Amino acid sequence: MKQKIKQTLMATCFLLSGVIFAQVKTVNGTVTDSDGVPLPGASIVLVETNEGATTDFDGNYSISAQEGATVEFSYVGYENQQVVIGEGSTINVTLVQGNALSEVVVTSFGIRREEKTLAYSTQTVKSDQLTQARDISVANSLNGRAAGVEIRKSSSGAGGSTKIVLRGNKSLTGNSAPLIVIDGVPMVNNVGGQPGMWGGIDEGDGLSQVNPDDVESITILKGANASILYGSQGANGVIVITTKSGEEGATKVSFNSGVTFESVNALPELQYDYGRVGAASESWSPTKNASAANGEFVDEFFQTGVNYVNSVSVSGGNKTTTAYFSYYNTSSSGIMDNFGYKKNNLSFKQSTKLFGDKITLSSNIILTDEKTDNRGPSGYYLNPLVGLYTFPRNESWNAIKTYQVFNAGTNVMDQNWLGINNHFQSNPYWLMNNQPKEDKVQRAIGSLNLAYQISEKLSLKARASYDFSNKSYEQQHAAGSNATNTGNNGRWDYKKFNDELFYSDAILTFQDNYGDFSLNAIAGASLQQTTFGSGVSVSTGNDGLLFYANEFNFQNIPTNTQVQSTLGSQIEKQAVFGNVVVGYKDAIFLDISGRNDYASTLAGTGNDSYFYPSVGASFVLSQLMELPSQISFLKLRVSSANVGNEVPYNRINPTNTINAAGGVNRNTQTPFTTLKPEMIETSEFGFDLRLFNNKLGLDVAYYDITSTDQFLSLAAPSGSGYTSYFVNAGKIVNSGIEITITNSIIDTANFKWNSTLNITNNTNEIVEIHPDIANLGTGASEGFGSRFEVGGSIGDFYTSMYKRDSQGRIEMASGVPLKTADAVLAGNAEPDVSLGWANNFNIGENLSVGFIINAKFGGKVFSQTESMLDGNGVSLRSGQARDAGGLTVNAVQGGAAVTSANPELWFKAIGDRNGIGEPYIYDRTNIRLSQMSVAYNLDPGSIGLPVDSATISLIGNNLIYSAEAPFDPELAMATGRNSQGLDNFNLPSTRTIGMNLRLTF
Amino acid sequence: MKNKLTYLLLVVLVSLSSCTDDFEQLNTNPYQITDESLKQNFNHIGAFFPSLLKPIIGHQTHHNLINDSYVRHFATPTPFVGGVNNTTYYIRWNDNYWNTLYNNIMAPSKQVIEIAEADGYEMFVEWANLIRVVVASRATAFYGPLIYSNYGKTPAMYDSEQELHTTFFAQLDKIVSTFSAKTSYTGFKDFDASYGGSIPHWIKLANSLRLQLAVRISKVNPTLAKQQAEKAFKDPGGLITTNADNFNISLYGSPMQEVTISFSWGDTRMSASMESILGGYDDPRAGKFWDPATDTTLPADASFPYKGIRNGALLAAKGDRQSFSHVSSDFKTATERKVLDAAEVHLCLAEGVLRGWDITGTAEAHYKMGVKESFAYWGAGGADAYLANSTGLPTNYDDPKESGAVNDFTTRITNTVAWDDAATNEIKLEKIITQKWIASFTNSVESWVDHRRTGYPKLPYNYKNDSSTSPFGTVADDDFLRRHPFPNKENNNNPTGVADAITKLSNGKNEIGTRLWWDTGVESNF
Repeated sequence: MKQKIKQTLMATCFLLSGVIFAQVKTVNGTVTDSDGVPLPGASIVLVETNEGATTDFDGNYSISAQEGATVEFSYVGYENQQVVIGEGSTINVTLVQGNALSEVVVTSFGIRREEKTLAYSTQTVKSDQLTQARDISVANSLNGRAAGVEIRKSSSGAGGSTKIVLRGNKSLTGNSAPLIVIDGVPMVNNVGGQPGMWGGIDEGDGLSQVNPDDVESITILKGANASILYGSQGANGVIVITTKSGEEGATKVSFNSGVTFESVNALPELQYDYGRVGAASESWSPTKNASAANGEFVDEFFQTGVNYVNSVSVSGGNKTTTAYFSYYNTSSSGIMDNFGYKKNNLSFKQSTKLFGDKITLSSNIILTDEKTDNRGPSGYYLNPLVGLYTFPRNESWNAIKTYQVFNAGTNVMDQNWLGINNHFQSNPYWLMNNQPKEDKVQRAIGSLNLAYQISEKLSLKARASYDFSNKSYEQQHAAGSNATNTGNNGRWDYKKFNDELFYSDAILTFQDNYGDFSLNAIAGASLQQTTFGSGVSVSTGNDGLLFYANEFNFQNIPTNTQVQSTLGSQIEKQAVFGNVVVGYKDAIFLDISGRNDYASTLAGTGNDSYFYPSVGASFVLSQLMELPSQISFLKLRVSSANVGNEVPYNRINPTNTINAAGGVNRNTQTPFTTLKPEMIETSEFGFDLRLFNNKLGLDVAYYDITSTDQFLSLAAPSGSGYTSYFVNAGKIVNSGIEITITNSIIDTANFKWNSTLNITNNTNEIVEIHPDIANLGTGASEGFGSRFEVGGSIGDFYTSMYKRDSQGRIEMASGVPLKTADAVLAGNAEPDVSLGWANNFNIGENLSVGFIINAKFGGKVFSQTESMLDGNGVSLRSGQARDAGGLTVNAVQGGAAVTSANPELWFKAIGDRNGIGEPYIYDRTNIRLSQMSVAYNLDPGSIGLPVDSATISLIGNNLIYSAEAPFDPELAMATGRNSQGLDNFNLPSTRTIGMNLRLTF
Repeated sequence: MKNKLTYLLLVVLVSLSSCTDDFEQLNTNPYQITDESLKQNFNHIGAFFPSLLKPIIGHQTHHNLINDSYVRHFATPTPFVGGVNNTTYYIRWNDNYWNTLYNNIMAPSKQVIEIAEADGYEMFVEWANLIRVVVASRATAFYGPLIYSNYGKTPAMYDSEQELHTTFFAQLDKIVSTFSAKTSYTGFKDFDASYGGSIPHWIKLANSLRLQLAVRISKVNPTLAKQQAEKAFKDPGGLITTNADNFNISLYGSPMQEVTISFSWGDTRMSASMESILGGYDDPRAGKFWDPATDTTLPADASFPYKGIRNGALLAAKGDRQSFSHVSSDFKTATERKVLDAAEVHLCLAEGVLRGWDITGTAEAHYKMGVKESFAYWGAGGADAYLANSTGLPTNYDDPKESGAVNDFTTRITNTVAWDDAATNEIKLEKIITQKWIASFTNSVESWVDHRRTGYPKLPYNYKNDSSTSPFGTVADDDFLRRHPFPNKENNNNPTGVADAITKLSNGKNEIGTRLWWDTGVESNF
């Protein structure tokens, strides 16, 4: 009876399900090669809907599909196989190694295309590679993983911004940053304020708010050819992030817990023997201190930072609905006391099929809360490292640890700093405790997607997303802080603003085959509205006297300080676009795209609507002709594109501003009503070659990118009647080669060694600027200046050099070396060649080892820090010279050779703020073990844990490096356009070592 | 179905492309203020005037390390740029007052004048012109020739100094006649923190400025000088002869620049020359100008508790001389600063009398009035006793932070304060200009002119002179810097103009030793 009831129930269920899900079912199976070895990561795509899945580590997959639907199975280097779903629910597929490359790549708008149809190069990095070393920054995880991608991390510590440049700097005025796209939709990646020579603190970027564990893959669309459908925003390339989705079947829970320890990797070489004379802030005593009581206090100042990363994700679903949920928490304590970085991420993604699977409705919500306390500054001002490194060596470091002393005269705490009055120096402990800075970002990204399969050949996708961030940055400077920056009652710097992006698009896709020809066409329209930096800001500066000491709020704002409404930009862009791919015999593909933009920033110029096209072709030669048997696959690709780039907000007709005095400052910019969009023309060709049954792959791309009509703001000549004017001018050419070699070096059952080598070379030339100007300065201060000159390159920097006689001896006068009258080209901050070598070893069933070696060859960097340390008499060099009773030099004075110089005179002349730059220029060349991980799969059964899998890994980041420079040349003071290659009291480079446990159940 | 959707998409596209109407509004910053909005309450001209008045006197690299140092009012304890900088005759900061003239005055006032002319506000046109004359007449004291009458034209050719001063006088004619016809005009009231909109006061400023410029050119063009000075003196609108009429500019809530530079940045202190002259003459204004040295062991004489730094000194470390005299703490509460005052006008008149110009009153009377107005301005007492001092002489200077003769000097002044009617005009002029120098504290541009023009006061030379390594020519060790070179950017932006301007300089060289037009190089002043 029981049995009967059960059977009836089951039958009813089946019937019901048959009614509701008439044609849908879950298909499972295993994908293997001809030897029966499972193929992990094989693509399974429903041809009609483009929906897909991938196989897991054991080659298993699961996909929900209609009966009668065609499923295409593909795997790199294997022939595709199409299967029509019949009655059964298990389809096991054996793929045959073949010549066709059928990997599916996520391209613009999240459109998945077979790689062989692409006329441009892309590179995809998968989640397991991205999260191997558990770096909390998604961007840093890309380092070395792809060719043509230059990544430079801020020196400011965890959660700092990252400079990403694809295929060279293309703009004289912008920062050439690529567009970040998450699940097909643009994501805001505004880089906040950046430090310069004089100081400042990195204010982070948008990418750092992404949960690395949510990322399924990152595809890099390197050139405008690939990204034309995104229009101007994609002109600098696109980073396409695809996030994880729920999977049908049993609920999977994945849990990660990791801890890493961060310690200083490299410090400047300092002397601790010679102190100061009198009240000087420099340590230029010619005689050694009586006692070396201080020890090496600089080393002791830094602590070992601890980073915790914990994340959990839950994924599951049934035939109609899948869902993915994740939570990620990280905290980082940094190498300096009082630093703190905390981030919480929450994501929820679901997808539901409706109306007989014709409609798929999916939504995604990502919430982030990020908080940073006392991010590490760079530059002279308000930087604890200045006081730390230059601390007079005869004074007691322990004494100044009592950083504040009570002033009975004012009833306020005063700074305890040796009576030194130096606008750069403050007591480091005072700075860290009494001038705290807090950055907060709260962010929500929500999106809704609708896919409608209108017919077998026609489908419509529509989506909308909203990306909202609320950011606040606050620094409270206590009364008694350095008077150069702070008023008597303290200083308050506060800003709070929103960044908003609304995006929507609709895309119609049509595909059909006509004999040997295939057609794939899309047409779409998009609307994007952004409002950035909308909020309020106030800074009381050092002149603004707060009414009451140490109260930091609007009520206490002095009358001479302006509370400002801020608006960075508000821009609307509309676009219509289309793309047609015509294929012949699945071997030749012609790709034509076009886009028309309508940009609000060009309103009133008559140029606000502008069109640009791209055309490309790919030839799968291995499919067209008989090639030697060693060649498994060969594809040639060629493409050319034009992309217009919108100009900045509010440049056409700026008006007047109300000043703090209540008057109005007249706008004196020359009106610019003939403004045009900037243009980028790019062409690329390359090939993809696979040899020896796909064991060895070589992908080569050559590109040439010409940027013209750059938008420049120039200072108007003094007599012109205006103070500034704008032009469309300039020409910059980037050309380069990207080589990716993939090699399955050893491939046995028990030992596998896979290796990918990425090599990049980019040459940048500034061909034209503007006839009115000889060069375009991008910030010169002290001895370091970066500027653009015709014939030069972006990243060039200039410093003064030693003045030398014909024999190369340094010319001296009055015991002091002389310098060249003008700053001369010292070098370029960009490397000649970048190299990333990623390796993965699988030893036995359970052990895997991975490491990445990154190297840069060529390029120069400049250390103002070293110059300051010399000038202040605290560098090791300055101590050694005093030990030796003089500095050995090859110089000449008054015609007589000089071999020994007075260290103080010499180092004060070459060092300090504006000395001689030459000795502080270093080669950027460096080679490093940038990532290492050793992962071991525990057998959960044998240790009695109720889990499906458990992996424990040891991880390390930035472990060892070798470089000529006395600081890490890969860390950037600023991740914007300026101060590239410059070190001025940047936070030292760190290495992290730790471990991670991953459980799935 | 398919057709319907295609149609729908087309409709969407068409409607998208037609809704770009709000683009212009979107591309406008809502937190800026438009000319249209400013028309409310008729602010569309006047609202720009505070921004034109405020920059008349600049900051550290406009004045403090420039003319205030050349004329030895202030000295810096800081060895900027390795101790090699403007204060040691190696030009590091050169563009600042140039930028004040062109970026803050000429460019905005050009548009303001255009709007005012278009709307028939001739009073505002002339007000803007008066501010232009104030600033340009100061700027020419730095550089010599300037782009002025050709401003806004291409190429922007420079006026010679002669042409400039002739233009200034002509503009002042127009200003005075326009203002004099409408002395009860109230239109300036809301925008005029200096005189509260009182036209008669602006006339007094215009007349006093004319007098100042006439005195400036008295050696190089005595005829024009006499004519202009007499015109200024005789104008019914009168001169600034009492402190109540002084032309001050509001600080608009900011602290006085010298307060920031001295107290916040620790970059300026009393000069050794101030110590020498104020101390030697036993000047009661010393305590109004300066705070006592914070290190009380520094001053040699307890009755004069101030300590100064030599200009163009050899400085080892910034920290060494922080305990020398700050500018007076009283300045911390200042809300305005002077640009042209009664003391200067009286002392100009005193010189005019010596030069035989048709001016009522004796030189002695104007000299004494000048000193008394200065005492009154600074709130110091004892002017009569001070004026009677016929023995006190400036002291010699010893730098307590350096041993030997480093940074020390012996004063070259052998003249006393007390007027001596029997003395030569040269002696009398030295007294007048020395008093002008003291009175002009915090406003030293014209004192820098006087010093180059007359050689008075007989200030000490630089101890450290780095001009020989400078690309802008040399200054002899027993001489002073004579001008600033034209900004480098002019070589790029306006090569024709600047090349022509250099030919208009007295020796055809764009150097720091080149004498300006009114700096004739003739030692005798009569």
